[in-house]
Amino acid sequence: MSAVAIIAPIVVSSWPAISAAVASAAVSIGFSVARESAQEGVSQDLRPASNTVTLDVPNCSAVTGTLGRDQRIRLIRDGVQVEFSRDARGRDSVCVTGEGLSAEQLRAIGDEVAGRTVQHYVLAKLKSEMAGKGMDLVEETVDENQSIRLRVRHWQN
Amino acid sequence: MKTREYEITIGPTGEVEIHVEGFQGKGCVEAIRFFEQVVGQTQELRHTSGYYEPDEDVTLRNEQRH
Repeated sequence: MSAVAIIAPIVVSSWPAISAAVASAAVSIGFSVARESAQEGVSQDLRPASNTVTLDVPNCSAVTGTLGRDQRIRLIRDGVQVEFSRDARGRDSVCVTGEGLSAEQLRAIGDEVAGRTVQHYVLAKLKSEMAGKGMDLVEETVDENQSIRLRVRHWQN
Repeated sequence: MKTREYEITIGPTGEVEIHVEGFQGKGCVEAIRFFEQVVGQTQELRHTSGYYEPDEDVTLRNEQRH
């Protein structure tokens, strides 16, 4: 072994790549993508919810920064809704709504979704770039704290 | 042909830890630069004992002289 590096992700991508990461992350933590559209009204899929928090976490801008104006993506799990949106003025927001949950609990859910979205974005990008370099992914596992572990082999002259 | 191995851990918030194996000397720096370009910015870099071994091209030249 020669070195260990810790790299903080920088998300710079177009909406299709981010959208795929959101969908992949949503599935990994039991959410489903309810709607992804522009200029859409309130979802009919949810029960009336009493608590809403708006998040201000760095990872969320990875998602909202790629949305077009007046565009939103909505995730749903067990009556909890996480909505990434950008309004007509270009203002970003991430709202988490759910019945019977405290603001702290909703915030934790929003942070989890945003973090997982970045995780799955990084995973997809790494796989694509490594394949382009001829690197072989020989093992992919998810550990108990939800980290994704990859073992990669590369033959070089 | 030489085998390089990488162990990559992507944390639940997207931070990436990469263990680079199979290099001698500073060749690992180039490998890490590739991952940096793909993922983002290096926050921490720790060299293990292999880093302080002679670079691979230097080793090869020494072998050719014998």
